[in-house]
Amino acid sequence: MNRDRRVEDLVRELAPRVLATLVRRYGRFDACEDAVQEALLAAATQWPADGMPGNPHGWLLTVATRRLIEGLRSDQARRRREDAVAALAAPDAFLAPGPGDQDLPQADDTLRLLFLCCHPALSPASQVALTLRAVGGLTTAEIAHAFLVPEATMAQRISRAKGAIKASGTRFELPPQEGRAARLSVVLHVLYLVFNEGYSATSGPHLLRPELSTEAIRLARVLQHALPNDGEVAGLLALMLLTDARRSARNGSDGNLVPLAEQDRARWNRAQIAEGVSLLTNALHRDRLGAYQLQAAIAAVHDEAASTETTDWREILALYELLERLGPSPVVTLNRVVAVAMVRGPQAGLALIATLAADGGLRESHRLEAVRAHLLEMTGDATAALAAYERAATLTTSLPERRYLQKRAARLSDDRG
Amino acid sequence: MKYMLLIYDNPDTRERFFGPGGESLRAEIDALMTEITEAGELVGGEALADPATTRTVRPHDGVPVITDGPLAEAKEHFAGYLIVDCETIERASAIAARWPNARTAAMEVRAIMNPSGTEM
Repeated sequence: MNRDRRVEDLVRELAPRVLATLVRRYGRFDACEDAVQEALLAAATQWPADGMPGNPHGWLLTVATRRLIEGLRSDQARRRREDAVAALAAPDAFLAPGPGDQDLPQADDTLRLLFLCCHPALSPASQVALTLRAVGGLTTAEIAHAFLVPEATMAQRISRAKGAIKASGTRFELPPQEGRAARLSVVLHVLYLVFNEGYSATSGPHLLRPELSTEAIRLARVLQHALPNDGEVAGLLALMLLTDARRSARNGSDGNLVPLAEQDRARWNRAQIAEGVSLLTNALHRDRLGAYQLQAAIAAVHDEAASTETTDWREILALYELLERLGPSPVVTLNRVVAVAMVRGPQAGLALIATLAADGGLRESHRLEAVRAHLLEMTGDATAALAAYERAATLTTSLPERRYLQKRAARLSDDRG
Repeated sequence: MKYMLLIYDNPDTRERFFGPGGESLRAEIDALMTEITEAGELVGGEALADPATTRTVRPHDGVPVITDGPLAEAKEHFAGYLIVDCETIERASAIAARWPNARTAAMEVRAIMNPSGTEM
């Protein structure tokens, strides 16, 4: 079992390198990606049975190349298209040659792949799927399982994504300097989505989902290695580490959600918190402020506090105010409401909700109702809090959230006798 | 987010769909199914047989009793469903709006409960 795990880790680490080499040699990202996936599947079955090859990278490259050429040949035979030969004969035409191209560092290859998979022409769901397969080295079945859809659905998503990349004529190179920041923000968003998908507490037998956060952290590390001076890349990695540090405390033994205020903070992962804080501190000193750094800073304030009562809510409020100016969203606004309530009292929070709702700044949602319920409970208005918890419970589409909200409501109705 | 699109029928629409001239309706459905399959949005779906064959099981004095016929006589009946995985409920509703029954009977878009969530 341990050995299989080692094989899997190695295979997935090598996957983007092999893919990059293949694309550079032969062009045709879509065909190369299929070939690498087949080589990964072959490795996953053969290595544990026959033993690890002396040169795993070379093994994967050889098998993938063979599969690619077989695939292209049968394509040619079927379609009788002469131009397919050109794809094999002039591979370097696909890639604009640059200085030192023969000996590109591996981090650069991963970066090119990430930019390609997170192409703005693709839907977020496709960007996520393709990134996990081409850069993360996950199989289609694993990705489908993690996102709770049938393998055929996921396969379609990936194949459409590759079709869109092909149609866009994008080359396997870094995007031009102008507009690269915008492209990088898409990459960061995709990794953030992968992380969040895995971080959502799961009830039931979907054990692979937490591995999505682990995978997102791994990919963010690779990205940070490639772009060590980018503050937002460091900010995102720090945010993931600081959030994931609370994982084991936020899921009760019964699979129920444990809110931040009730978590056993002794179970938070101190090493991960220390790493996140140090990454963040370096980033804040070096680069201009961004939304991921701010979110990481907020997570750090929580992580470094011994309890909700001793949390520096003023600091958190200031950070949310900055964040709302930088990247406003309903979730950020709601979190600012919570911070206002913690600093100035629940009435101030409820007043702010009323103002925001009147301005159309907050739409009805289960999160809004849940915050309202918590604040009403803090004021001692059990009747109104109970009604708000019940409304929130009917609005959420998440099973563990519904269970949590109903538990809070039941507690209040028991108290009232 | 996953949504179930509930397809409703009435005796008229069912007749139109399976009767002469139904080819164009079926072609519309085929085209939409191809589109959402290729987009990686279709998760699954089934069409139900005519309600004439329905049996209902419901309690009588606390004991399940089986009877012939549907639960309630209604002008519209449940005829089948699709499950789609879309970015937004707007997209799911747009798919529902293009199903022929949206013009003749009704479609309902329902969010499917998610086994995961975040603390509040």
